[in-house]
Amino acid sequence: MNEAVKATNIDNAKPIIDIENLSISFFTKRGEIPAVMDFSCKVLPGEAMGIVGESGCGKSTVSLGIMRDLSNVGKIVGGRIRFKGKDMGEMSDEELRSIRGNEIAMIYQEPMASLNPAMKIGQQLMEVPLLHDKVSKEEAYNRALEMVRSVRLPDPERMMRSYPHQLSGGQQQRIVIAMALLSKPALLLLDEPTTALDVTVEAGIVELVKGLGEKFGTSMIFVSHNLGLILETCDKITVMYSGEAVETGSIRDVFDRMRHPYTQGLFRSIPLPGADKNSRPLVAIPGQLPLPHERPKGCNFGPRCHHFVEGVCNADEIPMIPVEGHDNHFSRCVRFNEIDWAALPEGATEKKEPVKPGAPVLKIDDLKKYYKVAANEIFGGGEARTVKANETISFVARESETVAIVGESGCGKSTLAKVLLGLETASSGTVTLGNKDIQSTAIEDRDVGTISSIQMVFQNPFDTLNPSHSVGSQIIRTLEKFGYGKTAGERHQRMLELLDLVKLPRAFATRMPRQLSGGQKQRIGVARAFAGTAKVVVADEPVSALDVSVQAAVTELLMDIQRTNKTTMLFISHDLSVVRYIADRVVVMYLGCIVEQGTTDQIFSPPYHPYTEALLSAIPIADTSVVKKHIVLEGDIPSAMNPPTGCPFQTRCRYKNLVADGLCEKQVPPVKDLGGGHMSLCWLSDDVLATMEPVIRFDIEHAAHEGIPDDAPHGSGPGFVGEAPQRPHGKSASVAAGELGEDAEEDEATMRARRHERRDEGSEPHASDNHSHVAPFSPRTVGEGRQSEDEDVPSAFDRDLPDERKH
Amino acid sequence: MQLEYIGAFQIVLQVLGRFWPVWLALALVLGVSLHFRKRLGLYGDLFSTGVGIAGVFICLFWLFTAIFSHIIAPFDPLTQVAVMKDALPGAVVPDNGGIYLFGGDKLARDVFSRMVYGSRIVMIIAPFATLFALMVGITLGLPAGYYGGRIDSFLSFLANLVLAFPVILLFYLLVTPEIRELSFDNWFSQLTGIGVAIPRALAAVFFIFPVIFFITLFYTRFKKRPERLYLLLGLTILIGGWVYLGLVFNADPLGIIRIDPNELNIFVAVVFASSPGVFRIVRGLVMDIKTRDYVAAAQTRGETPWYIMLWEVLPNARGPLIVDACLRIGYTTILLGTLGYFGLGLAPESPDWGTAIKDSSRLLRSFIHPALPPVFALMSFVLGLNLLADALREQSLKD
Repeated sequence: MNEAVKATNIDNAKPIIDIENLSISFFTKRGEIPAVMDFSCKVLPGEAMGIVGESGCGKSTVSLGIMRDLSNVGKIVGGRIRFKGKDMGEMSDEELRSIRGNEIAMIYQEPMASLNPAMKIGQQLMEVPLLHDKVSKEEAYNRALEMVRSVRLPDPERMMRSYPHQLSGGQQQRIVIAMALLSKPALLLLDEPTTALDVTVEAGIVELVKGLGEKFGTSMIFVSHNLGLILETCDKITVMYSGEAVETGSIRDVFDRMRHPYTQGLFRSIPLPGADKNSRPLVAIPGQLPLPHERPKGCNFGPRCHHFVEGVCNADEIPMIPVEGHDNHFSRCVRFNEIDWAALPEGATEKKEPVKPGAPVLKIDDLKKYYKVAANEIFGGGEARTVKANETISFVARESETVAIVGESGCGKSTLAKVLLGLETASSGTVTLGNKDIQSTAIEDRDVGTISSIQMVFQNPFDTLNPSHSVGSQIIRTLEKFGYGKTAGERHQRMLELLDLVKLPRAFATRMPRQLSGGQKQRIGVARAFAGTAKVVVADEPVSALDVSVQAAVTELLMDIQRTNKTTMLFISHDLSVVRYIADRVVVMYLGCIVEQGTTDQIFSPPYHPYTEALLSAIPIADTSVVKKHIVLEGDIPSAMNPPTGCPFQTRCRYKNLVADGLCEKQVPPVKDLGGGHMSLCWLSDDVLATMEPVIRFDIEHAAHEGIPDDAPHGSGPGFVGEAPQRPHGKSASVAAGELGEDAEEDEATMRARRHERRDEGSEPHASDNHSHVAPFSPRTVGEGRQSEDEDVPSAFDRDLPDERKH
Repeated sequence: MQLEYIGAFQIVLQVLGRFWPVWLALALVLGVSLHFRKRLGLYGDLFSTGVGIAGVFICLFWLFTAIFSHIIAPFDPLTQVAVMKDALPGAVVPDNGGIYLFGGDKLARDVFSRMVYGSRIVMIIAPFATLFALMVGITLGLPAGYYGGRIDSFLSFLANLVLAFPVILLFYLLVTPEIRELSFDNWFSQLTGIGVAIPRALAAVFFIFPVIFFITLFYTRFKKRPERLYLLLGLTILIGGWVYLGLVFNADPLGIIRIDPNELNIFVAVVFASSPGVFRIVRGLVMDIKTRDYVAAAQTRGETPWYIMLWEVLPNARGPLIVDACLRIGYTTILLGTLGYFGLGLAPESPDWGTAIKDSSRLLRSFIHPALPPVFALMSFVLGLNLLADALREQSLKD
């Protein structure tokens, strides 16, 4: 964080941007839909403000509002945005245009979409000074080159001559940042700038962004859903919920001394170090985000809040209330002084027995998968090239064990899943499921038993169900394929039982997938995977596309079912926080090879494989008491088409010089047993490995902050050395997920809001208009939604009704 | 002989009056649709935009005109009243007091009645030919897109061949008597005594596709539920076989389904020319949809490729296909007009719009009125279809 800059302007500085009670609404045929209400924030020069919230909370609308880029249906209906003291509402279009891009620059999520694919990078960059500063071409080129250098891109001259598609995603995003900085903006808006990138690449971008304030004195507004990223990049944070800022303050205050139940709920539902699936499971936020036009009176979070008090919380609209004794810390909660912030919700202390791994179920031995890529498929010819997607993969998964397969995109983890499921056949090696070799049996040749005993949960909830068939019929079809039941009636009964299993109401059987929220769809995906008697379930990033609080609920569900069915789960992920939380054993992959494997404890503590070390350092952790060793990898992941010689990781490894004779570049290292089944693919000698320090440590001194009893026992979990402070604010506090987490998701409102926005452009609502005949809508009393069963929560489906009555 | 005329206002009034069954049916259908539009899915959504309503209105107008043409038209399209040759609009027929609302053409037939009856030909050939083209295109496009590789290369090559062939030339060839009568003197004709002319052979090929399509459709889905499967397969073969016999061999035992050889030519020619287009669209859509997770999910539960193509992929391609079908009916209508204009295919006295335009174009310098109604009819119908397609596209993009 930019301490240096801040110190200089702490008193006299005027804010770069000062937003006062901003309200933004979208006007559709259904009437006004408030997207942002009463939003205030101030950003001082050189300061970075983080805006965090789940999808649909209005965080992106705020940044678009600042740019005054709200399409034709969005309108600022109240409040003021002052840029450098001038009210932007009073500026002419001309003035606004000169500010946009020149003084306020915006960086979006998809770098490729921000770059013109038909123009060379250099030209695109030069355009900025040419247009805004009217400088000569030469001058523009020099400035552009200088900027490419300062965003730390290798070989800047070559970069300037390249087209966008020739660069990797990380490099593209750096170019976008360079372009934004070229006009020397006073304010930089970053809307989820790293969401599309890999973890280690993200770490590089984060480091770059962090230095910007210092180097250029640029103020930043950083919009993200990831609390860890905000912690690493920002000075202040605003938490948004359902269109309102619910808490704002300095990072320290909000992270450690939060004064809003929603903020606390968010922290409790993300797997921070210290959370443990057996002793301290995650706590999901119950209920669902209210639809924009159905927000309750008073506190928007009221219906989902544990501390809700009838007549207090829903009496009147709640303003931002300053927190006494904290500097510039505000919360939109009337009861924050009465709440015991250290208390855990009921049932939180429930512990579960750790699973005992049984006999090996899945054995993979020396598996190889090569693809041949011919230059021209129709007429042949050209040189056939080989892509080594999987190289000597060997590991064992036991009954009721969770094995995490970790790696960034292109590491071959998805190919491995395809081979296991029979969508591809192995080039060599063996895969043994139970006592059957399945490596070379393609899916169409597998018998029903094999097919139903290895199943998959897919990544994208919006893609996992066929939008054309009802939920029930999709499950029934699976049962039919698995030969379950003799009659259609039996299968129907089983389908209803499966819906119970994933804690969805039976009425969902007749719904179409589009009527379900992302979390609900993912639950159906889980039900489908467990429809047969699956022995092994491959879960390919099953929660990465879901919102934070929904993630917790789906993760807990997955583990519950796994626990009761004694299923082996292969959990494919790039997110080491989730992996640490969920996995018993971890396999780390890089460029098709397993570089390290062992139990979760072994992987998360030294000695590390150099790649694992970098990966661990790259994950943003939303905990102020965590101190990470800072490792940023140079360069990008090499192409599997043209892998480096020797060790696959040698091109980015920072330990390479510690190995004699350049062995790393010449020979693939042997798999080294570090004891207890901990394997590492590395040339490093034992004494070098012994000197490795843990990447993640807890700062003991930091734990001395407010509210922590000095004698608090410091717990420890896997993955860190030293003592963890017990967090009285309940960040990693736990509750029996089964009780509270059940219906904790429902980001339907989100999608609906998005759809509203989209529809606004094309005008005309319709969607689920054809349900107007379903049961009358019964308004839910505020507060009742807490901990309610799914059946009681008015589903998004029923919630459409009031809308329709409007027109 | 001097003809009597009625005034322009009278003409408009009488024309509107003659269409009374159409207005009645339109009012009924539109009223019901508007009332229940929230329950009618995509069709109901059409009524939310002006473009959609206009499209539905125009298309239904011509559909009902075709259905009720025998009520609307005051004269038989082929009846000639000698005295009415090239009569101007609004001329009163001396003998029976009937009125040639849009005048008479050079063979003294009523232009209005011919326009009305012409809609029948268009309404039969254009949608059905498009339907068959869709069937052929889908049945071939699915495997091409799904399997890729050799199958795709081969089928795409065929499609490219057909597309590269000049369409008008193709039609000339198909309807040229020498080519038409060029029969395969093979075992089939010797065995059955039926000479197989090229159009009939092509028809035999094209019309088998729907049967194959539905058999595969039901077989893949209900393989494990025989009671359902046999029923559906039986029905398919029965109905399919019946239609097939009627269309291809002109041997419908019930005598209901038959097709004029001229019309069969046109039909086959149109299917032949437009199925490669459908093929390409389907192929592209399948290539996109097959990468979705739900297709992978179907594969991992051991579904057969054809099940995936027909039940997982195809339903999700329906949006663009419906839009394309709408536009394609429009193209086919234009194509029919073009064929009629060149005098290809249909009988010279046929009242279809293309032939009517051709007939009247010869005398365009002296009399313009016989040319206008068919031109206007053709234009408005195609415009209606395009509006409909636009509205459908807009609505289907919203979800």
